[in-house]
Amino acid sequence: MKKFLNKPEDFVEEMLEGIYAAHPEVTHVADDLHCFVTANPVPGKVGIVTGGGSGHLPLFLGYVGDGMLDGAGVGGVFQSPSSDQILEVTKHVDQGAGVLYLYGNYSGDIMNFDLAGELAEVDDIETATVVGNDDVASSKPGEEHKRRGVAGIVFLYKVAGAAAAEMKPLSEVVRLTEKAKARTRTMGVALTPCIVPEVGKPSFTLGEDEMEIGMGIHGEPGITRKTLEPADAVVDEMMERIFAEQDYAAGDEVAIIVNGLGATPMEELYIFYRRISQLFAERNVTIAQVWIGEFATSMEMAGASISVLHLDDELKPLIERSATTPFFKHIAK
Amino acid sequence: MTMNASALPGLFNRYRDRFAAEKQALIELDGKVGDSDLGLTMAKGFAAAAAALEEKAPETLADGMKTAGAAIAKAAPSTMGTLMATGFLRGAKALDGAEVMDTAALADFWAAFRDGIAQRGKAQLGDKTVLDVLHPVAETIAAQAQAGASPAEASHAAAQAAKEALEATKEMEAQHGKAAAFGEKSKGIQDAGGTVACILIEETSAALGA
Repeated sequence: MKKFLNKPEDFVEEMLEGIYAAHPEVTHVADDLHCFVTANPVPGKVGIVTGGGSGHLPLFLGYVGDGMLDGAGVGGVFQSPSSDQILEVTKHVDQGAGVLYLYGNYSGDIMNFDLAGELAEVDDIETATVVGNDDVASSKPGEEHKRRGVAGIVFLYKVAGAAAAEMKPLSEVVRLTEKAKARTRTMGVALTPCIVPEVGKPSFTLGEDEMEIGMGIHGEPGITRKTLEPADAVVDEMMERIFAEQDYAAGDEVAIIVNGLGATPMEELYIFYRRISQLFAERNVTIAQVWIGEFATSMEMAGASISVLHLDDELKPLIERSATTPFFKHIAK
Repeated sequence: MTMNASALPGLFNRYRDRFAAEKQALIELDGKVGDSDLGLTMAKGFAAAAAALEEKAPETLADGMKTAGAAIAKAAPSTMGTLMATGFLRGAKALDGAEVMDTAALADFWAAFRDGIAQRGKAQLGDKTVLDVLHPVAETIAAQAQAGASPAEASHAAAQAAKEALEATKEMEAQHGKAAAFGEKSKGIQDAGGTVACILIEETSAALGA
C-alpha cells in the first residue's frame, strides 16, 4: 500500500479536520467530527441529510452547502455512520419543516437511517426517506429496489436541494426527488481495485488487460469481466444498458455525469464524453447539462461511471438552479 | 404485580445487572462464530438505558421504553444494539396510551418488539438469530393473553418457551451476519442473539413477580 497517511486508523478523522480547516461554511455538531453540517442553515427550509461511508469523496459530505444538502453522517471507510450521529445531524438541520433522508441503497445505511428517523420522531421531527438506486448493473429491471446507489445520487441531491431551496414542503421535495430517482440510471466500469487504508491491500484483483463492467463502488462484483476494449466500445456497451431502460425520444433532454472513480485522468473522462455525446446526438436527444469529473469515487480505483437523468419540464429548472458547496459549484445560466 | 411507568427504572436495572453479569459469557459465545463484541454491546447499552431512566423518571410506559431505546441506540451502535433500540422504540409505540402493563399490553409490546427487529434485521425464522427466540416469546404471551393469564403467568410461560427456543437454535445453521460465514460449524452452538432475547424475557418475568 502506498498512500499519504499518518496512521491508517486516523484516516477519516484527519480528512475531516482538513475539510473543516479549508471550508468554514461547513462544521460539525455534537462534539463529533462525523456529524457534518452546513454552518448556514436556512430557517423554515426542509433539511436534507445524507450519509454513508468515507472513501467516496466528494460523496457524501461534499454536497453539503447552499442549494444542495444540509448535513451528512460520516462513517468510517465504507462503513455506515451510526444512527446517533445521523440523529445529531438531523436535530441540527431541522428548521421546523422536516428532514429528508437521501442516501444510497446499502443495508447498513438503511438500518441506521431508519432508526435515526424513529429517534427523530421521539423528538417530534418529521422525516421522510428516499434511497438512491441508480446502478443498473446491480440488479435486473423490475428489481430496481435491490440496486445500489452510486454517482447518480448527485442528481437527486441537486433536485432535492433545489426544491428545498425554493421552500417547497417536505412532501413536494420527496415527490420531485422520487421522480428524479425514477429517471436516473448509472453504469460503471472498473480497471483496478481500491485499498481500504486499515486493510492495507486490494479487496480484489483484475488482470492487467481486464476490465469489469458494472462493478460497485466498494468493489462489488459487476456484470462481466473481460479484456479491455477501446473506449468507444466500452461506452457503447455501457450506454446500451442505459438506453435499454429509458425511453429517450427525439427532442427529449438529459443531464449527464461522467464520473471518475478516483484514479482515472480527466482526459479519459472526456474521451468517454465524446462518445456519449455522439450517441445522444444520433437519437436527437439534447444534453442540457453535463458534469465531468470526480463525483463519487472509490479511493484509488481506476474506472468511470456514466449517469443519465432523463429531464422533464419540472426537473430541468431544478437541475439548472445555482448551488455552491465545498466540492460542487453550479451557476444558473 | 402489574407494572406501570414508575416500575420501568427497576426493570431496566435488572436488565443492566443481568447483562453485566453475563458479559463475559456473551463475549465467549459470540466469539465462537462472530466478533466477540456482543457482551460489551449489551452491557454498555443496558447500562445506558438504566442510567437514562434513573435520570428522568418516565411519565408513561411508552415514554420510558422510548427513553431506553434512544439510550441504547446512542451507547451501542452495533448491529445488536441497533436491533435492541428498534425493539424498545417499536414496543413504546405499541404501549402508547397504556397506563399499566396488563397481559394484553405485554403481548402488544413483545409483538411490536419482535416485528421491529424482524423488519430492521431482515432475518427469517430459522436463520438462527434473536428472532428465533423472540417469535415464540411473542406468540406465547399472545396466547396467554387470550387465555386470560396474569402478566406474571404469561411472562413466566414465555420465559419457558424462550428457553426451549434457545435450545432449538443449536440445531440451526446461521444464515445472517458474520456467523453465516461459519455455516455448518455454527451447528451445536446456541445462538448468541437468541441468548439475549432469553435473558430479556427471563428478567421481565422476574420483575413481574413470576
